[in-house]
Formats: sequence, C-alpha cells, structure tokens
Amino acid sequence: MSSLNTFGSILTHAIELESSLNAYYTSIDKSDRAKAADKRRKKLERVRRENVVEITLEPIEGLDEADYTLNLDDISEAGQTAIEATASQFYSDVAPKINVRQAQRALERCGQEHAEFAE
Amino acid sequence: MTKTIKNYVNGEWVDSLSSDLIPVYDPATCELLANCPDSTAQDVDLAVKAAKGAFNEWRSTPILSRAQYMHHFKVLVEENFEDISKILVQEHGKAIDESRGEVRRAIESIDFAISVPVLMRSDGLEDISSGIDETTLRQPAGVFAAITPFNFPFMVPLWFLPTAIACGNTFVLKPSPQTPLSTEILFEMLDELDLPEGVVNLVNGGIPSANAIMEHPDITGVSFVGSSPVAKIIYETCTRNGKRVQAQGGAKNYIAVMPDANMEASVKNILGAAYGCAGQRCLAAGVAIAVGDAYDQLKDELTKQVQNLKVGYGLDETSHMGTVISDAAKQRIEAMIQQGVDDGAELIIDGRNIKVDGYENGSWVGPTLLADVKRGSTMATEEVFGPVLSLMKADSYEEAVEIINESHYGNAASIFTNNGKYARDFKYNVNAGNIGVNIGVAAPSASFPFGGQKDSFFGDLHGQGSDSIEFYTERKIIIERWV
Repeated sequence: MSSLNTFGSILTHAIELESSLNAYYTSIDKSDRAKAADKRRKKLERVRRENVVEITLEPIEGLDEADYTLNLDDISEAGQTAIEATASQFYSDVAPKINVRQAQRALERCGQEHAEFAE
Repeated sequence: MTKTIKNYVNGEWVDSLSSDLIPVYDPATCELLANCPDSTAQDVDLAVKAAKGAFNEWRSTPILSRAQYMHHFKVLVEENFEDISKILVQEHGKAIDESRGEVRRAIESIDFAISVPVLMRSDGLEDISSGIDETTLRQPAGVFAAITPFNFPFMVPLWFLPTAIACGNTFVLKPSPQTPLSTEILFEMLDELDLPEGVVNLVNGGIPSANAIMEHPDITGVSFVGSSPVAKIIYETCTRNGKRVQAQGGAKNYIAVMPDANMEASVKNILGAAYGCAGQRCLAAGVAIAVGDAYDQLKDELTKQVQNLKVGYGLDETSHMGTVISDAAKQRIEAMIQQGVDDGAELIIDGRNIKVDGYENGSWVGPTLLADVKRGSTMATEEVFGPVLSLMKADSYEEAVEIINESHYGNAASIFTNNGKYARDFKYNVNAGNIGVNIGVAAPSASFPFGGQKDSFFGDLHGQGSDSIEFYTERKIIIERWV
C-alpha cells in the first residue's frame, strides 16, 4: 500500500517537507531559503484547506513516501543540492496525481522553486 | 473526568436542566469523549425566549454589519480548520480528508451568507398606476431553528445558521447528540464574534428537545436533515403548528453507467460516491446500474479498485475510509448485507468482520460490493447508510431510468456516459432533485438549493441558495402614493 495515497497525505507530506527544510536552513544560517520554505509551507496549508473537495477524495496510486527521504544530516553544498533535487522530484511526481488544477499549480510552483536550488 | 457538554443560551454557556446524559464515543477507539445532555422542553423554551428577545435589536443591526460578522466568522473557521477537522474524525469516525472536505463545504455556506446584502435586495416599479409606486421589501421573519444529523455535524448546521442570522433572524440549533463536539467548537467561535446575546443559541439533546422545537409557538420555521420517516414527522408536526419547514430525508441514489463511459475514470468517481464517509451521507451512491455491455466491465473494474481502498483510523492520513457512527449502525448495515445475500445477490467483496490493527473494537464495516442485485429487492430499493454498493444490470438505458424513477426516494441520481443524448435525457426525465453527469456525488454548492424530491424532501423551499433567502425572509409589498 502506497503511503501517499490520498490528497491529504500528499499535501501533509509536502507541508512537513517544507517545515523540515525551514528548520534545516535555519540551522545552517541560510535565512532566505528558510523563509522561502516557510512561505511554501503556509501556501500548502492554505491549498490543503481550500481544495479538499469530493473529487479530491479519489484514491491515488503509485507514490511512496520512502522515495522522497531527505538526508538532513548532510549540510554540505552538495548535500543541499541533493535535498533540493529530491524535493523537486517529489513535487513533479505528485502534481500530476492531483485532480484539482489550483492545487496542482501550487505543487508545480513549489517544485520549480526547488529545482532552481538544485541546479 | 468526562466533560458534560453545555448548552449556549443568551450568550452564555449553561448547564442543561436535564440530568439525563447521552454518552459520546469515538467510534474507532471506543473512548468516551463526552456526555451530551438530553435537554428538556424547558431548555428549548429558555433558548427560544433568548432568541425572541434578541430579534428586534438584531434585525435593526445594519445588514452590512451582519455580513461583517459572517466575514469574521469565516476567518475564525479558517484559523481553526485543522482542529475542527480532527474533532470531526474523533466524534464521527470519518477520514481526515473527508472531515476537511466537510469544513470546506461549511465555509462555502458562510461565504454565501456574506453576500446577503445582495441576496436580500428587492425590486420595485414606479407608476404602476398614475403616481403610484410599488416595491417589495424582504424582512427577517423571527426565530428559526434547525435539527441536524450526525453525518455532517459541522457542515449541515452551517447550511442554515449563517444565512438565517445574516438575514436578520435569530437562531436555535439542536445538533445530533451523537456528534455534539464539533457544534461545541462552532459555538465557541460564534461566542468570539460578540454577537448580541440571544442571536444564536444551542440546545443539545435528542427527542424531547426536538419535539419542543416542533411545537414551540415562538419559532417561525424549522430546518431538518435526517431520515425520511423522521423528516415526515417533522414536516407534519411543524406545519400543524403553523411553521414553515424544510425537511430533508433519506435517499437511495442510483448511478447509471453506460457502455460508452470511460470506465476507469468513472469507477474512481463512483468509489468516492459509494464509500466516502463510509456511505453515511444522503448523497451516497447505493446502486450502480450498468447498462448492457457495461456490466462485466464495471463489475471487474469495481472489484479491482474497491480492494485499493484502505480502511483505517481517520486521523491516519492514508485511510480512505473510517468507521460507521456506532456499533448499532454496524449491526444494522451488516444485517442489510446479509439480507442482500439472502435475496440472491452475489457478494463480491464482504466488508463484514474486518479488523483494523490497534482499533479492534471500533465500528468498522469495510467497503462492500454486491453484484446481480435484483430489481425490487431490499438492496435495490432501501437506504443502507453504510459502505455498500449494489450492482444491477439493465438491458437498456430506458430500463435504467425506469428503475431509478420507481424509487420512492428522489434525492440524487447520476449518469456516466460520453453521449450527450443520454445525458440530456437523464437530466430531463429522471425524478431526483440533484442530478450528476459524470459526477458521482451530485452535491450542490452553497449558492444553489440542495435538491430533493419524493420521500427525500418534505417542504417547499430547500436549504441553501436562493431558496434559503426565501425561507428566512418575509416579503412585504409596499404600494404608495404621495399627493
């Protein structure tokens, strides 16, 4: 059974991911990135509140949380790049699975922001 | 010590005059969450007196100010969104996403009430005769009450309360004694608004308080959502007591699936319609009628996809389906499944006797699929109010419509098709108040009336939308001449 099998589980995972990135970047004094993560967290909380309707309750298949584990112990530049790449991959994988365009767009934009840091 | 829920009367939290208590359990963990008082007729009378006393001040509060109260109310609900959703899981048993969806729908109703300055506006004509002008005024009509069910304990009260008070009325709510906790948080937020005392009142309890509401001479109108037999009693009693009433009853909702439908996409949607909230909603799909060649394909796809549904504790984000409301409900649903089998249906997936690790004593009924259900049998005609989908076969589109229209219910019906001719005919000829085309749950948004026909609705004006403005206001026609 996939662990990212509902609208809520995907959005909650995204919110937790951004919370952990906020803490990660705060701990290494990268306040701009920390703030950006916190802003995405707030946006994702709003998206979860505003877009959970009957149609989003359809089961979602093919996603597993384990594929998007972040190595938050690695604070090197390379480690940061790898974290951003994983986050970007998460968003690009989950966005197409969400059948509400507004929520999908928000996930896509989060993915784009992470992709920029992963380059 | 387990808390006893209080009533909210005249701007204060007060103890009920009754010492009779109704236990409120988490249906998954079996934890005793609270005790709900079984309030008396005297409790209702105190609430109605407060509402009546507040009416004159409240109706003369500028309508823009009344709308502002609703705006602040919406902000509070947004701020408390997750807490409310979690309480809904605990007292009802539904999955967290379903709870969030319920709160979202409730907010839509507040949004609708915010627009009351536009919605209450009336019209007029100059010179209907020489020098004579005629205009219509909409005025609030007094004290309104609502008796609401366990299945959407946060959303259904908000179908009524925000619009009623935004129109200038005062209000008494009696929620289901099975799910009073989300209503308690609802009134905690209303309390924060600093409304004048008595504008909103809460009386917790069961039959005695419901009876008192139906019979109280100072209540102008009553809204009800629940089962059809009770809706009929509410309608008859309220009208006998001179009240306006809107009473939404139960349902047996049918989904016709045509051979041309996109089967995979349709089934995903049908799953949500049949098993969402464990089938405990008046828009739940009870029967899927496959037309002609669609039958085998639908049966195979349903069998495959139903098995992907995860039943689990509602606070686990990965659960698609939670419990039913109580052990009594579980036993009733399981007996109906057995009735289906005894009537000759094929039990494809049996949701009885499932176990959920860590919650062994919960009121679980898994998603159940019955095939080859016979026309006229109990499972084809009677409401289950549980996670059971019955699959029937019709030889033609016309036969599918006949099956739907012979039901004594008329809440909702849907068709899945890619053929506009069938879709149009379905909208035109099916006798149900809410019609879905490639939509399994035909749930009207807050700005549309919630339909319902036959034994699914008793009354003239429905809840929500323009009907609710009519219901909560009195029209006065002014004809004037100045010489």
